[in-house]
Amino acid sequence: MTTTYRFERRLDADPRHAAKTRIYGALIAMIVAGLLLLLTGRNAFQIFFDALDAVLGNQRGVEGTMLRAIPILMTALAVALSLRMKVWNIGSDGQFLMGAFAAVGVGIHLGGPGWFVLIVMAIAAAFAGAAWMLVPALARAFWDVNEIITTLLMNFVAVQLVAWASLGFWRDTEASVIQSTEAVPYRLADLPGTNQLTIALLVPFIIAAVLWWVFRSTKIGFEIDTIGGNPRAASFAGIRVRLRLLAVMLTTGSIAGLGGMLQLSAPGAQALSTGFSAQFGLSGFIVAALAGAAFGGVIVGGMFIASMFFAGLVLQTKGLSVFIIFGIYGIILTGVALGEVAARYRLLRVETVTEVASA
Amino acid sequence: MTDAAPAAIEARGISKSFGGVHALDAVDFEARLGEVHALLGENGAGKTTLSNIFAGIYRSDGGELLVDGSTYDFKNPSQSIDAGVGMVHQHFRLVETMTVAENIHLGWPETPKVISQRALIERTKRFMDEIGLHVDPTAKIWQLSVGEQQRVEILRVLARGARVLILDEPTAVLTSHEALELFDVMRQLVDGGRTVIFISHKLNEVLHVSDRITVLRNGKLEITRDTQGATARELARLMTGEETDLKVEHREVTGEPILELRGVSALNERGVEALHGVDLTVRAGEIVGIAGVSGNGQTELAESISALRRVESGTISVDGKDVTNGSVRAIINMGVGQIPEDRIGVGMVGSAPITNNAVLRNYWGDALSTGMTLSREGVIDFTKTLVEAGRVQTRSIFATAGQMSGGNQQRLVATREALVATRVLVAAHPTRGLDVLAAHEVQTSILERRDTGCAVLLISDDLDEVLLLSDRVAVMYEGEIMDVIDRVDVDRERIGLLMGGHDLEEGTP
Amino acid sequence: MMFLALIDNAFLSVISSAIPASTVVVLAATGVLLNERVGVLNLGQEGLIGLGAVYAVIAVQTLDVGSPWVAMLIGMIAAGVAGLLFALAVVVFKANQVLVGLALALGGVGLANQLGTNRVGQPIKVQFREVNPGGAFDSPDFFEAFLFHDPVVYIAYLVLPAFLWFLLFRTRHGMNMRAVGENPAAADAVGVSVVWSRVLYTVAGAAISGAGGAYMVLSFTPSWSPDIARGRGWVALAVVIFAGWRPFRVVAGALLYGAMFSLGLTAQARGWDVPGLPATDLSFLLSMLPFVVTLIAILIPAGAAKIGRRIRSAAAPAALAIPYSREDR
Repeated sequence: MTTTYRFERRLDADPRHAAKTRIYGALIAMIVAGLLLLLTGRNAFQIFFDALDAVLGNQRGVEGTMLRAIPILMTALAVALSLRMKVWNIGSDGQFLMGAFAAVGVGIHLGGPGWFVLIVMAIAAAFAGAAWMLVPALARAFWDVNEIITTLLMNFVAVQLVAWASLGFWRDTEASVIQSTEAVPYRLADLPGTNQLTIALLVPFIIAAVLWWVFRSTKIGFEIDTIGGNPRAASFAGIRVRLRLLAVMLTTGSIAGLGGMLQLSAPGAQALSTGFSAQFGLSGFIVAALAGAAFGGVIVGGMFIASMFFAGLVLQTKGLSVFIIFGIYGIILTGVALGEVAARYRLLRVETVTEVASA
Repeated sequence: MTDAAPAAIEARGISKSFGGVHALDAVDFEARLGEVHALLGENGAGKTTLSNIFAGIYRSDGGELLVDGSTYDFKNPSQSIDAGVGMVHQHFRLVETMTVAENIHLGWPETPKVISQRALIERTKRFMDEIGLHVDPTAKIWQLSVGEQQRVEILRVLARGARVLILDEPTAVLTSHEALELFDVMRQLVDGGRTVIFISHKLNEVLHVSDRITVLRNGKLEITRDTQGATARELARLMTGEETDLKVEHREVTGEPILELRGVSALNERGVEALHGVDLTVRAGEIVGIAGVSGNGQTELAESISALRRVESGTISVDGKDVTNGSVRAIINMGVGQIPEDRIGVGMVGSAPITNNAVLRNYWGDALSTGMTLSREGVIDFTKTLVEAGRVQTRSIFATAGQMSGGNQQRLVATREALVATRVLVAAHPTRGLDVLAAHEVQTSILERRDTGCAVLLISDDLDEVLLLSDRVAVMYEGEIMDVIDRVDVDRERIGLLMGGHDLEEGTP
Repeated sequence: MMFLALIDNAFLSVISSAIPASTVVVLAATGVLLNERVGVLNLGQEGLIGLGAVYAVIAVQTLDVGSPWVAMLIGMIAAGVAGLLFALAVVVFKANQVLVGLALALGGVGLANQLGTNRVGQPIKVQFREVNPGGAFDSPDFFEAFLFHDPVVYIAYLVLPAFLWFLLFRTRHGMNMRAVGENPAAADAVGVSVVWSRVLYTVAGAAISGAGGAYMVLSFTPSWSPDIARGRGWVALAVVIFAGWRPFRVVAGALLYGAMFSLGLTAQARGWDVPGLPATDLSFLLSMLPFVVTLIAILIPAGAAKIGRRIRSAAAPAALAIPYSREDR
């Protein structure tokens, strides 16, 4: 009797099992990243503990992480919502920028009580984010044009538009060091007990909770999941797939756009400049991929990625850089993708009876 | 076949398991030179697994495989092709966007290294003449009928010098006329000294065309015998392990008309008229069967009734109420259910829990939702009822539907539609791809629907099924209803002619 | 007449700078085409271009490579290795191509930027030289605009597409490749190795994209700067869609991008102005143009298909981005 092991592939993975293997994949990827850091002569352990210390060691670290978490969570929620429908919104960075763009436009031109201007800014940001999704959404819904490339190309247009605003038509001629637009004179209310945080931090949590409820208990959530699972079955159930697709894609754009408005309340970010978004959309994408479009998971994953991001900023002097952080992101994302595959395999023990040939 | 010809291909004690389940358990099999050998069995009996081992797609876990008396262990399909074993799969392995000539030359070491369309076409024509099978070599695969595509598959295998040809359920996708043509080709091939392994679960065909028969059940060898003297009843018992005759009682239909179509025309995906002025009435407690060769408007008919396809002209009414081009929901709310042709691809969400699939076609109703929200308890209760009624076997109603076996997925969809269908049930090819037992189960449930006073429209390209179940038979040809015949007046020959667009008076073309 | 000559000159000037500007996109898009013809979607083009570029810089500045060809080869090998890792993940282990592609885009750019940290702006002494008989022309005229470029331009615009066309449509091997991209199960059933062809052409495609990056620093830019691809990788992916997966149409699509790109440069260099629009605003507008035009370009075939008849040959390889596993049926 011989015992061998082999993998068996399944067509459908159990979602909970898949969530576990994705996390294992990310963890293994981080170990690989650590080994790579060791190989290039950096002390990975030291970096790890320094990072932990930087993030959790003091209030500044915790608040700094939370601050980064807001834009990352907003874009991550946008991507996660689109993933429920198997749509890849890779343009959340552009929508985020356009949200900020519209909010700045309102903020520097509209007068009135602060709360009023802030509400108009939020609405404008949500609409601008949705507007930036309009062409990709229409093309996907009615012409079946894949949204990956279209949403991405829109990012580059947004980057140029923001550059134009900050160096051109809305340029603050008084500021000389950093070229940017004029600063918005309104900020969201401070979060009590913190030094830097505003009530902006609550928004992603509220949105995540609402989305969680929508997908748990409502017909709309049911319909979106059905379209994501099998659009033909959705049509068979009388769901108007194209319209729902359009609505969801625009909603994801508005969430990312709102994120842009919230970012304007972060310290030192009251004006639009070319460096306004530190590729938050990409970080958000990783969070959504890691969480597998589960909204609770997005919150946890978003905090995790934000802490990495913050650690990367703090540890610039200790051999870590934003570039390396992006490199590590890449490794983690690969780990997540491989973990997802692993969920479809099961290790099997095979026992084979070897017959003895009789003469 | 009294003097046994030598074995062309032989399996000795072949075993194969998937996930600990034995798909094949020490099976012996032998097909001789120059015979058509039928391999019979229910779904999951191991026929396809065995033939995939012959074709080098799977590797066996144990046992011995011999071709022309020498032992082989095929690691991939090309090794089996080199040994002279070729397989034509049930789902064709053709590249739709390429020409017939290109498909025949694909992956073939004898194809010249530098090619041109013209050279490939010339070569293809030559093989076709040699083998005696013809298809337009310049046509793209998507332009061909299913029968022609199958011929390309056979040509491809033969061009590579296959002496053992395995046909995996080749008639499942063919019209009855195309099937007869295929049988001629099979006879022609074995007369030329080749061996054909014919996989099927259609007993009449097996009895008609084969020389010997091997029956598999649950991965084990049941019997190998000469076809001569075998009966369908005996073979069915060997396949299923039990008596399987379905008794259908037909009564006088007196119910009032429920589903009425008047002059209905509709277009297909390519914008060509697929339904042309269809008039049809189905009464309460009656099954009207649509007989016809696939692709003559049956799919469009079913979709028009369920509001999945726009009707260009004419009216459709249910219980006297005009529902033409209404919403899908409105039709469902009227009590019209549909078992779709592609049950898994259209009727189910594999990645969603069974609960979601159970309520897919009525979740908006008052019983299951209030305002925006779905009632969780309502959904669970409904799912439990459905799972019980349909004898759907699952470890949990929260498992994804894709994790269930194919048979249980079929049951889930069929039962759900039966529950939706309080007035009208449209059943499109309800038993396609099912084995004998599962097919009987579905047919029984359709008869039960009829007995509760539902109007049933049965669409099937299996004429036997249509004749067995229907009270009236409507024959469709090129989007038109040729005639509607009461079951007492049924004349098989005439139906066959009508399905081909002719009638008795006209004679054969 | 003066006016006409000016237009003429401007046109030639745009063309003459569009050709080298598009070369990166032509090369990357050719790499993408090669990947996609066998059914592999590699979204990591930005990373591949970055790696190709930074390793070419390293070859020249650190390894003292004296030949631009050798420097380019080193860039191609670096991108090829990245392509191999990508292929392992998505072809052998069947991971999601979109996710791993984005991982490569992120990680590749990150790694390239990190490696290039101390090299920003430093001149790269080894450069491709244009084929120009003695610098006889110093004003852009017709011949110069179209003919006098470095040899990589000729390879990218003529040799490579011709070779690819021949490979794909005139050889047995190419026919098998196309089958792998259209229907891997069909290719597998007739003994074409799906894994092998996908891995091979994923690596080859990545190396060609890397050559695009190397070309940037060895001729076009010619120095290292962070995020060197600046969206050209994404444009390359779009160009392949626009081109309907045909080698020569890829050249046409890339030129369209290049023309829009050099329109901005030319406008700036010549101080063009539009009444009522300040020069800076014009230049920002023009800098959006390549992306906007690329976006419109990929919408055109889809829109045309909806309005008129469906053009089958313009469709993507049917198995694009779908992992193949023999046991899934």
